[in-house]
Amino acid sequence: MHWRDESPGLLPSAIRHLHLYFLLLRAQARSQGVYRVSFALDAVAAALITASEFAAFALVLPRFGTLSGWTLGEVALLYGLAELAFVLMDLAFGGFDAPNLSAHVRSGSFSTFLLRPAPLALQVFGSDFALRRLTRVVLAAGIVAYGVTHVEVAWSLGDVALLSGAVAGMIAFFGGLFVVGGALTFWTVDSVEAMNVLTYGGRTLISYPMDIYGEWLRKTFTYLIPAAFLSYFPVLHVLGRPLPDGLPGFAAFLAPLVGPALLAAAFAFWRLGVRRYQGTGT
Amino acid sequence: MTNLFFGALRVAVLVALFGSRPQVAGFTMQDAITYTGLTQAFIAAFSLFGWYDFMRVIHRGEVGGDLLRPVNVLAFWAAQDAGRAAGQFVLRGLPMLGLFALLWGAGFPGGPQAGLTVLSVGLAWACGFAFRFLVNCAAFWSPDAVGIGRFAWAAMNLCCGFLMPLALFPGWFQSVLAWTPFPAMLNTTVELWLGQRIGPDAWAALGTQLAWTVALFALAAMVLARGLRRLELAGG
Repeated sequence: MHWRDESPGLLPSAIRHLHLYFLLLRAQARSQGVYRVSFALDAVAAALITASEFAAFALVLPRFGTLSGWTLGEVALLYGLAELAFVLMDLAFGGFDAPNLSAHVRSGSFSTFLLRPAPLALQVFGSDFALRRLTRVVLAAGIVAYGVTHVEVAWSLGDVALLSGAVAGMIAFFGGLFVVGGALTFWTVDSVEAMNVLTYGGRTLISYPMDIYGEWLRKTFTYLIPAAFLSYFPVLHVLGRPLPDGLPGFAAFLAPLVGPALLAAAFAFWRLGVRRYQGTGT
Repeated sequence: MTNLFFGALRVAVLVALFGSRPQVAGFTMQDAITYTGLTQAFIAAFSLFGWYDFMRVIHRGEVGGDLLRPVNVLAFWAAQDAGRAAGQFVLRGLPMLGLFALLWGAGFPGGPQAGLTVLSVGLAWACGFAFRFLVNCAAFWSPDAVGIGRFAWAAMNLCCGFLMPLALFPGWFQSVLAWTPFPAMLNTTVELWLGQRIGPDAWAALGTQLAWTVALFALAAMVLARGLRRLELAGG
């Protein structure tokens, strides 16, 4: 092999990495398909957890009419988008989730990632591809579909683009939070519980219209942790409602910027953590 | 802390649902807040997010060690879980309720109702334990019992009144649930705690809880015996 083959151009290297990534995914998908019954049950159960949570809300809502002026269809749109983005993020970024990564760090098996001749982040990306989560993707898409068909919106191409951008932004945003949580395991072996508040708590928080929360909570998750820009503002815009705090209309379009910005910062933090990693001596 | 944060979000959703209504299905807004504090407080004690301890012991074959003890396997596990649950309730549950009382004014039962409520808490744990144990016994027959467990916990969370008070569900769904043991695992305790069931009605509620507990324990003992026999046949 020539030296030149080791340093290919940018595009061929990207293709090679993508190929490698899909090889990792396929290997895991194969191993998960071995026990068919187990896989089917796990897949259904994964969806049932989401389903029961939303079902509980949907069953109760008729007693009350609306949730501070939001109909079931409107909440379904908000809830479904957050769930869809979170599950897709979980599929891609699962390897960075603190419990997964800290297990690798604790056992020392993280060292093998460093020894392999493949980019570290790529290996972590490909290390926890739980195929069973696909049922949750389908279910989340179903909730979104219910929402789309039960709101009074004359859907335009712009609306679809706006909400797609919101989902992409949310995937990057929550992915970034997973990466930060994973990187923290290089400093502390215990996974940091406060991160769960931001990741799982943040997901639940943006699943409902944010005007139901206290002023401080809403403002914290708007200006300090910019989660409101990801789904609440885009959905408000699509429904033709004004943004809170007199924010200008373009704030509804910032999700595709806010998410990737956080993700970039998260990977900078990740590199700091990896440099600190010393292994367990095994 | 995570628990409190999720509690705060759940309170916000319920408060927003109530809006300006003083009462819905026998629940005032204050009741709804107390309900949320209670369910958050019981998560750890009642293992509402799932429990796989006995399953693990079966899969690893360590259940053989359990059989060597001069005590009944089911009674041994029940005693162990009772201790764990009591510890969790005192160390995590009560502080959580205290915080809810402090932050949102969650209420506590008083007078004779308090005694009945304590009984109901105990029965809710027992009923829930028997169900959890039964689900774990699936491991005798299936190497995929974790999936069965996940399935069972998801159904339990919806049907025992953990996600929403059962009284707020549509009538048809409530009548279906009335024929299942799930309300006895949490919802009945909440109703007694809130004073929604008093006097003879409270005793009837406790009786139902007791009946389901006895039935589920009997079933668990039967399934366990069959499972253990099967294990011996397999030479485990």
